[in-house]
Amino acid sequence: MSTLSELTSMTWANFADKPVLETGATVFAFLAATRISRLGGNHPLLNPTLLAIILISLGLEATHIPYDVYLRGADVIHFMLGPAVVLLAVPLFRQRAVIRASARLIAVGLAVGLPVGVLSAVGIAWALGASSQTILSLTPKSVTAGIAVGISEQIGGLQTLTIVLVIMTGITGAVLGPIIARLARIDDPRVVGLTMGIASHGIGTARALQISEVAGAFSGLGMGLNGVLTAILLPLIFRLL
Amino acid sequence: MLEQIARVLCWLCVGEIAARSGLLPFPAPVTGLMLLYAELSVRGKLPDDLGILADRLLQFLGMLFVPAGVGVIAYLDVLKTEAMPILTAVIGGTAITLFVTMVVVNRLGIAIAKSHEPESGQLEGAAGDVNS
Repeated sequence: MSTLSELTSMTWANFADKPVLETGATVFAFLAATRISRLGGNHPLLNPTLLAIILISLGLEATHIPYDVYLRGADVIHFMLGPAVVLLAVPLFRQRAVIRASARLIAVGLAVGLPVGVLSAVGIAWALGASSQTILSLTPKSVTAGIAVGISEQIGGLQTLTIVLVIMTGITGAVLGPIIARLARIDDPRVVGLTMGIASHGIGTARALQISEVAGAFSGLGMGLNGVLTAILLPLIFRLL
Repeated sequence: MLEQIARVLCWLCVGEIAARSGLLPFPAPVTGLMLLYAELSVRGKLPDDLGILADRLLQFLGMLFVPAGVGVIAYLDVLKTEAMPILTAVIGGTAITLFVTMVVVNRLGIAIAKSHEPESGQLEGAAGDVNS
């Protein structure tokens, strides 16, 4: 993650410039996006992160503020992503009893979902002639965004493209997850939740929580473990290639 | 609380050093996550303040991606010219992943339930505890 280098290259002078405007705008945009999402019954298509990104982009376009000026100001928020990902250890630790109790189910879910998730996306994109930059950015698409940007950077993808692809994947999984479960006649909340977490990270988990508490817990687990495992495996595989 | 913030930044720092020195190829925050998990496992319990810190920060995790996500406006051309492969890979790939994983894991779940009935009851109970 480039946060540390960005932070160290930043002098106190430009830190004090006025990050208040950019930080404030980001918080307000996200708050507004959350409200809009709630008005729409928290429908996965009304993803607050995506709405906030659109709002800020429109704002930058309208005010002719270049992106790097905005990012310099909003770097305080961007920096928090690192500590937030470290803190994902806490929900995983809280669920250690579930991990132990359903170890086999979870292990099989990861052994199938992780490679199928990566290879299906990479395979389709490659077959349809996507550029290598796009394919690399697409590789960690099923991983929670905080971890996915780190993976994308490690393997040479574009962080910002990865974030948007990750959100698109999350929305797809949240919408399709319950539909596919119904088509395949699967009603075990552990299976549906775990799979939605592995395939579509936090956005899928938010949807799984609406199905049931058990589905939500397993989805959170699938998301966390899939994120950590993908972050370990992908860079190692790319190092060997 | 300050102690917990220091703990998180400390593990993140170790992760950053490991990543920058080329010692570990993983993203720094993921190394930090694993180290924090290992520390909690050794301690055997979660400090209250750390739990509160995690709940508060993770509540608006979605906001933390916004600044980096806005950067995509520089790549709108890429998204437009490669819209077809990107959308097919994202939607098709996710649908395949969901279907294959659900079917395989469900088979296993049925097999486990058949081999010894009590386990699935136990599992549900455990999941309920964790979520409450």
